[in-house]
Amino acid sequence: MFGPKCSTGRRRDFVEGTLRRLAGTMEYATRADDSAEHAGLLQQIDPRVKLGGFLLLIVAAVTAQRVGVIAGIFLAGLLLALLSGVVRTLTKLWIGILVFTGAIVLPALFTTPGLTLWHLPWVGWAVTAPGLHSAMMLIVRSETSATLATLMVLTSRWVHLLKALRVFRMPVVFVVILGMTHRYIFLLLQIAQDFFDAHRARRVGRLNPAQRRHMAVSSAAVLLNKSMQLSSEVYDAMQARGFRGTVYTLDEFRMKGRDWGMLAAFVSLAAAAFWMGKQ
Amino acid sequence: MTTTPIFELTDVTYSYPESTALDGLSLSISPGERIVVLGANGSGKSTLLRILAGLCFPERGSVVFQNQALTAESLALETFAQDFRQRVGVVFQNPDVQLFSATVFDEVAFGPMQMDWSKGEIIERVNTVLNDMEIFHLKDRAPHRLSGGEKKRVALASVLVLNPEVLLMDEPTAALDPKSQGHMIDFLFDCIGKKTVVTTTHSLDIVEEIADRCIVLESGRLAATGSPADMLQDHALLERTHLVYKHKHRHKSGVVHSHPHLSHDHHHRAIE
Amino acid sequence: MHIPDGYLSPTTCATLYAASTPFWYTALKRVREKLSTRLVPLLSVCAAFSFVIMMFNVPLPGGTTGHAVGMGVTTIVLGPWASMLAISVALLIQAIFFGDGGITTFGANCFNMAIVGSLVSYFVYTTVSGRSGITSPRRVFAAALAGYIAINVAALCAGIEFGIQPIFFHDATGSPLYAPYSLGIAVPAMMLGHLTFAGLAECIISGGVIAWLQHSNVALLKATMPTDDLALGGGWRLTRPFWIGLAALMIATPLGLLAAGTAWGEWGPDDFEKPEVRQEMAAASNQIAPPEKVPSGMERLASTWTAPFPDYAPSFLKSASLGYILSAMMGIGLVIVVGLFGERVIRLGKPEVKPNMAS
Repeated sequence: MFGPKCSTGRRRDFVEGTLRRLAGTMEYATRADDSAEHAGLLQQIDPRVKLGGFLLLIVAAVTAQRVGVIAGIFLAGLLLALLSGVVRTLTKLWIGILVFTGAIVLPALFTTPGLTLWHLPWVGWAVTAPGLHSAMMLIVRSETSATLATLMVLTSRWVHLLKALRVFRMPVVFVVILGMTHRYIFLLLQIAQDFFDAHRARRVGRLNPAQRRHMAVSSAAVLLNKSMQLSSEVYDAMQARGFRGTVYTLDEFRMKGRDWGMLAAFVSLAAAAFWMGKQ
Repeated sequence: MTTTPIFELTDVTYSYPESTALDGLSLSISPGERIVVLGANGSGKSTLLRILAGLCFPERGSVVFQNQALTAESLALETFAQDFRQRVGVVFQNPDVQLFSATVFDEVAFGPMQMDWSKGEIIERVNTVLNDMEIFHLKDRAPHRLSGGEKKRVALASVLVLNPEVLLMDEPTAALDPKSQGHMIDFLFDCIGKKTVVTTTHSLDIVEEIADRCIVLESGRLAATGSPADMLQDHALLERTHLVYKHKHRHKSGVVHSHPHLSHDHHHRAIE
Repeated sequence: MHIPDGYLSPTTCATLYAASTPFWYTALKRVREKLSTRLVPLLSVCAAFSFVIMMFNVPLPGGTTGHAVGMGVTTIVLGPWASMLAISVALLIQAIFFGDGGITTFGANCFNMAIVGSLVSYFVYTTVSGRSGITSPRRVFAAALAGYIAINVAALCAGIEFGIQPIFFHDATGSPLYAPYSLGIAVPAMMLGHLTFAGLAECIISGGVIAWLQHSNVALLKATMPTDDLALGGGWRLTRPFWIGLAALMIATPLGLLAAGTAWGEWGPDDFEKPEVRQEMAAASNQIAPPEKVPSGMERLASTWTAPFPDYAPSFLKSASLGYILSAMMGIGLVIVVGLFGERVIRLGKPEVKPNMAS
C-alpha cells in the first residue's frame, strides 16, 4: 500500500506489466546517466559534496516541524534544478508524488481528531485543522525529499555517487558490491526482458491462470539459476585478474573552489532549516 | 637445446559430475608459441583453458607453469599467485562475465589495483592501454551500454594492462561482427614472438592466421597435433571430431559440400 | 512496502537504523566466514536478482497481479544472513537511484523487508520443513508459508511504525507531523493489502521457485538443509514445550483482570484524589494514611514517560481481554527479540559450522 510500486491488485496482463517496468527502469537509468553529462551547475560539483549536502538537506526536511521551512528547502532545490537544467524531469516526479501522497493522506483530512474547519457537502464529513495540517506536512515533505534525492541522482554519475559513499565510512567491500550489483542489474533486466519477449509471442491472454502462474514462477527460477551461474563465472573472472579477497576503489575526486562554496551553501541552508524548523 | 616449456601438462584428468572433460591429456607449450585448441562443443577445450588459467585443478595428473606446480596450494601463496596472475591473462568467451565493474575505467584498473601499484601508476597505465585499444572515449561508460565488439576490446584491454606473457583466449572471435573479428585477428597475428597465446575456437577459417600449432581435442583426449595446414587438410580427422559436417544441400555447381569453407577463395571441395 | 521519506520521524528512522546495524554487522561477519572470497560476486549478483524480482508482476487469482520481494527465495537459497545483505543492497539501490523508498527510511525498510523478512522466512521454513528430504513436497509448502508469513510480519512492522507516529510525533496542537494514521487504521490498512495480494504473490513465488529448483537444480537448496548444529532452527525441537507453555500463559493473561484493585506501589498521581484508592492504600500500608496531595517529585517524574499501552489497554481496542493478550504478545515479542539479539552478540566471535553454500 505505501510505496509507489506496490501493487494493489490491478487487472493487467502480467507479462506486459513486467516488461513495461523492466523497460522503464532501463530507460530511467539511461536518462539519469545522460543528464549527468549536461553542462549545469550541479553537474560540475564534486560528488562527495552533493552526496553529503543533499543527505543533510533531506534530514533537515524530514526533521523540520514547520511547513514554511520545508517549503523553503523545496524552493532551494527548485533553484538548483533550474540552474542544472533538470526541471522537466522533476516535473513528472512532482505530479506523481502529489497524486500518490494526496491519495494516501486524503482520508486523514477526516480521521484526524481536532478542530473542524468545514463539512463536505452531501456526505457531511468534517475536515479538521490538524488533518489538513498533517496532510500538507506529508505532501510537502514527500515532494521536498524526493526532489532532493532525484536532483542528486540526475546530476551525478551513479558510479561517482557510489564511490562518494566512502566519505561516510562505508566499507570498500560494500561500495564494490553496490557497483557490481548496479552493473549486473542491467544484465539481469535484459535476460528477464528476453524471456518475457520470447513468451509474449505465445499470447499470454490465451493461457489459463495456472499456466500464467507457471510462467511467472519459471521466469523467476530461470533468472535465479542464471544468477547463481553468473556469480560463479564472475568469481572465476575476478580470480583470473588477481582477486584474492580484497577489493579496492579508485577515484579521481578533487575539491575545487566552487565545491567548497557549494558545501558551505548546503551546510548553511541545512543549519538554518534545523534552527528555524523547531517548534 | 630445448627451452623450458612455459606450460607442461602430464596425464591431466578432470571430471564434472555428469561427464569427464579431460581424460589423460598431456601437452607441452613453449614460450612464444601460438596454439589453437580445436574441438567440438564438449570436447574439453574450455576446461583445458581453465586448467591452464589455474581456475580449476585436475583430479589426476599435474600442471606445471615454468617449473612450478600449479595447484590450489601453490596459488594460495600470495607471491606466487600475484606473479602468476600478472603473467597469465585470460579472456573469457562471454564478455559480460569479464566486465564486472561499474565502468570501463574501473574494469581496466581492476587488475593493477590487485597488484598493489600506486594510484598514479595505475591511472597512467590504464589511460595508455585505453588509448592503444582506441577505447579511451568509452572510459566512463557502463558495460551494459557497450556493443559486443566494444565489450571484447575492453575485456582484452583489462587483461593487456598487466602486460602478461601468456594469453589464454576462449573463442575470441565468437559473436563478433566482421570488422571486430578482423581487429581481433590482426591483434593475434601481431602477438607472434611477443606472447604465448592459447586460443580455443571452432572457426576453422581463422586458424591459419592465428596459430603456429593446432591441437585437436576429442572427448577430452588429444586427437591430433600439428601445423594448421596439416590439420586442415586432414578431412577425416575434421569430420571425426565434428569440426566439419556434411549436409545434404546441393550447391548450384552440383557439388555436395561440407562446412565450414576451408579455403580463402571459398572453393567448394567435393567431399563425397 | 517501500516507505518513502517523510512518513517516519527522524527518531523512528534513527532507531530503526540503529536496530538494523547490528544485524548488518553480524550478517557481514557470518557471510564473510562462510563465503570468504566468493562474497563479492555472490552478494552482488543476488542483490541484482532481488532487485529484478521485485519488478515482476505475479499473476494472482481473479486476474489481478501482485509484487513479491522474494525474501523467501533468497533466504532459502542463501541462508538468512546473506539474504539480509542481498536484499539490503537491492533496497539501497532502489532508494538512492530509483527513488523507491526513502533515504531516511532506508533503515526502516531494511529492518522490515531484509532483516525481519529473512529471519521470519528462515524460522518458518526450517520449522515447517523439519527434516524432510530435499525434494519433498513439504519443503515447497514450507517455502510458500514462509514467504506468506514473512511478508505479512514485515507489513505488520511497517504498519506499527506508521501507527505510532501520531502518538509520539505531533505538534503542540496535536496535529501529526508524519504519518497521520493511528495504529487502529495503519495496521489494518497495511495488513489488508499484504494478507491478500502481496502475500499471495510472495507465497506463489517462494513455493513455486523452490519446487522448480527441486527438479532442475537441487544443489541450490542445500544452504538451508538441517544440520546437527543446535543453531538457528535446530533448537526448536528442544524448546517446543516451552513455546507451547508460553502460548498457553499468554492466552491465560486476561485472568489478570479478575484481580481487584491495584498492586501495592503501583498507584498513579491521580489515585491520590480518589477516596476508594486512598482507602486501599491505607489498608495495604498498615493503616497509615497516604499524603493529602501527590508528592511533588512523583508528580514531576510521572509525566516523563507515557506508555503506548497504559494499563495493558491499547486505546484502539475496546475489549480489555484482547488488550491483555495483545500486550502479552508485544511484551513476549520484545523480550524474544532482545534475547535473540543478545545471543547473537555473544556468539559473534564464535566460528560457525554450516554446510557449504552452492555457488
